[in-house]
Amino acid sequence: MSADRFPGFDVLSQRKHWDPVTAGVVLERISNVRDFRFFTPDEQAIATVLCDRLLGQDGDDRIPVAAMIDARLAEEQTDGWRYADMPEDGQAWRDTLAALREDGFADATEKEQDAQIQAVQDADDKWHGLPAARVWSLWTRYACTAFYAHPDAWTEIGFSGPAYPRGYKNAGVDRREPFEVRDHQPGEDPVR
Amino acid sequence: MSKVRERNESAWLLPNDGTRTNHGLRRDMRRFDDTDEIDLVVVGCGAGGSVLTQRLAREGWSVVALDAGPFWDPDRDWVSDEADSHRLYWTEPRVIDGADPVPLGSNNSGRGVGGSMVHYAGYTPRFHPSDFETFTRDGVGADWPLSYPDLKDYYAAIEEELPVAGEAWPWGDPHIYPHRPHPVGGNGEIFLRGAEKAGITAKVGPVAIVNGRFGNRPHCIYRGFCLQGCKVNAKASPLITHIPDALAHGAEVRPDSMVTRIEVDERTGLATGVHYVRDGISRFQRARMVAVAGYSIETPRLLLNSASKRFPDGLCNDFDQVGRYLMVQGAPQTAGRFDAEVRMYKSPPPEVSSEQFYETDPSRPYKRGFSIQTVSPLPITWAEHVAAQGHWGGKLREYMSDYVHWSCLGALCEFLPEPDNRVTLADEKDRHGLPVAKFSYTKGDNDKQLMKAAQAVMEDILHAAGADEVITIDRYAHLVGGARMAADERHGVVDAECRTFAVPNLFITDGSVLPTQGSANPALTIMAVAARAADRLKGSTR
Ligand SMILES: Cc1cc2nc3c(=O)[nH]c(=O)nc-3n(C[C@H](O)[C@H](O)[C@H](O)COP(=O)(O)OP(=O)(O)OC[C@H]3O[C@@H](n4cnc5c(N)ncnc54)[C@H](O)[C@@H]3O)c2cc1C
Ligand code: SF4
Repeated sequence: MSADRFPGFDVLSQRKHWDPVTAGVVLERISNVRDFRFFTPDEQAIATVLCDRLLGQDGDDRIPVAAMIDARLAEEQTDGWRYADMPEDGQAWRDTLAALREDGFADATEKEQDAQIQAVQDADDKWHGLPAARVWSLWTRYACTAFYAHPDAWTEIGFSGPAYPRGYKNAGVDRREPFEVRDHQPGEDPVR
Repeated sequence: MSKVRERNESAWLLPNDGTRTNHGLRRDMRRFDDTDEIDLVVVGCGAGGSVLTQRLAREGWSVVALDAGPFWDPDRDWVSDEADSHRLYWTEPRVIDGADPVPLGSNNSGRGVGGSMVHYAGYTPRFHPSDFETFTRDGVGADWPLSYPDLKDYYAAIEEELPVAGEAWPWGDPHIYPHRPHPVGGNGEIFLRGAEKAGITAKVGPVAIVNGRFGNRPHCIYRGFCLQGCKVNAKASPLITHIPDALAHGAEVRPDSMVTRIEVDERTGLATGVHYVRDGISRFQRARMVAVAGYSIETPRLLLNSASKRFPDGLCNDFDQVGRYLMVQGAPQTAGRFDAEVRMYKSPPPEVSSEQFYETDPSRPYKRGFSIQTVSPLPITWAEHVAAQGHWGGKLREYMSDYVHWSCLGALCEFLPEPDNRVTLADEKDRHGLPVAKFSYTKGDNDKQLMKAAQAVMEDILHAAGADEVITIDRYAHLVGGARMAADERHGVVDAECRTFAVPNLFITDGSVLPTQGSANPALTIMAVAARAADRLKGSTR
């Protein structure tokens, strides 16, 4: 991964500049090793693999995406709304994880797992009786929200994180704060 | 117009010691009993409800404003963090349906004193004169029972109270703003540069963000978390622009109070007050008048949930108008990639806009138009944009690591009001045992054409600015309508004064009453309509 695009940049090194309420929630997010409360052990195993594959996490220092989703569902911090043809989010997670289990996801190789995930994204219509596009949206919405709430992810993308009360003094194209680090691979447009 | 402080002292009632809440004002606020027959009870302390409350409290009316959510303290309750701002949103269950269901949650209504403006972006454009007569001019949408000149003075008054900063505005009814435009960050710079090269006019503003100092509200610190609630008190929301003045004039704000039903006396046909739940206990606030301002979904839902013998299909629903003509704006978001660093998270997301494409262009196959604005998503929202391109796994991470190089514009397309785009009640119940809202939405052909046209213009601007790649996500924004104003009860729920046709002492004063939406963000217009309704009420007998 492109961890070295912003060499020396570390969002957490700025935490003394954060207001106490924000520092409280962000630091709790990274310090708490949470017990799973919503997913059953079977669901937990599948959710962990699924989320790691969705976010390309294979190294040692992984962001605990599945645990963060578990906490959100346990605390009923969902968005409230649901599609008329989908169950509410918590149940939708349970149903889709059960469907993956049926498909032997847990015991498959990484390559096979990626293929199974890709099949959901590619499906035109239903997947295990649910609208595939909405299953895809559920998974990616929750996984991305968890992952990009984590300071390690902010560091990876050069985002400066919480900004109160300090704010920014150098906004504008190619301008940086003293603590921000220039992208060392600016031509690395991944799709070029 | 009198000096703003003489009309609305809110900004001077906030502390100037670096904290953001006047706790004394809240502690000492006047309090009424449920059994007091107050002059007015207002349901919802958002854009519309707060303005109405403040205006009538100033007239000496006894007013209680109930809100389902908390009485926020920005110091204690809000964070400079995307994920943890979840509590600002209305997250009670809702069902979405139709051919183009509109996801709600973070991108829609808010909850708590200040309403959705607590986490709105902060753009405050006026509607154009044409918006009030789209049917006459273009044969689409609907004509309002009032016209632009009826609102003009209210627009100017609210612009001073928020206050709004921006360049002299050349579109619609040309006007100027009370505060100078803000300096722009990377995203605004790219938009201005690209627009100029593409021959498109773009202007800085209009944003309800303090430039300089306003009363005890400090200058914006350009930290980019406007959609997470402004901890600085720089961005306007009724919590700081209207509620303090209302309290100082004897209004009571009763937070954490979910209204479940409006009571109407079968004999007199008049509203007598509202049932609400606070701390799990059901209560009833008596009042001589009731105003509903709960947002375009909760307002129709409350009316439908207030059915009675006289109104078997829902309060004010004799002609099947409640919940209908709900609108969203098509809000495609197009981003461009630059080798230079844009770092769009530095500066408020609302910076620069163009209304050049707002009006019907006879050379185009579609009616009405769109506006274009900077949007500047933070990482979680940006990930949604990138994931919408189909990326996942390592590819998604790589794309995301490129965040600092992207500039992002958003369009607001004027989708047309349709009767079948509506709120009804679902079979499902919420924790109070009340049926939840079901919101159905389907785009029309004109709507789809506007989305495409807006995307093409945004791509042109970004390419002209030097982008080597552009990516788009189709989104929606800004619900309005659902209890619209009209000339008569067969075409709407309220009259031009926001009085319901069916119940003479029941009013609706929020975004629900808008018959069309233009391509402008709606909050300023909602406030102006509420201010006008308050003015009309002042003269009437309480
Ligand atoms: C992410 C986002 C960005 C936005 N950006 C902009 C922008 O830049 N410019 C702009 O003009 N607009 C913007 N908007 C839209 C704008 O905020 C809303 O249109 C406006 O606030 C709606 O006003 P309202 O009075 O209809 O309702 P709200 O302001 O939502 O107020 C409704 C209030 O009623 C309360 N309520 C609801 N039901 C009940 C009940 N039964 N009992 C008690 N209380 C109840 C709610 O808690 C809420 O506080 C944005 C919205 C969002 C979500
Ligand atoms: S950018 Fe300015 S207006 Fe927006 S949240 Fe920060 S201080 Fe408030």
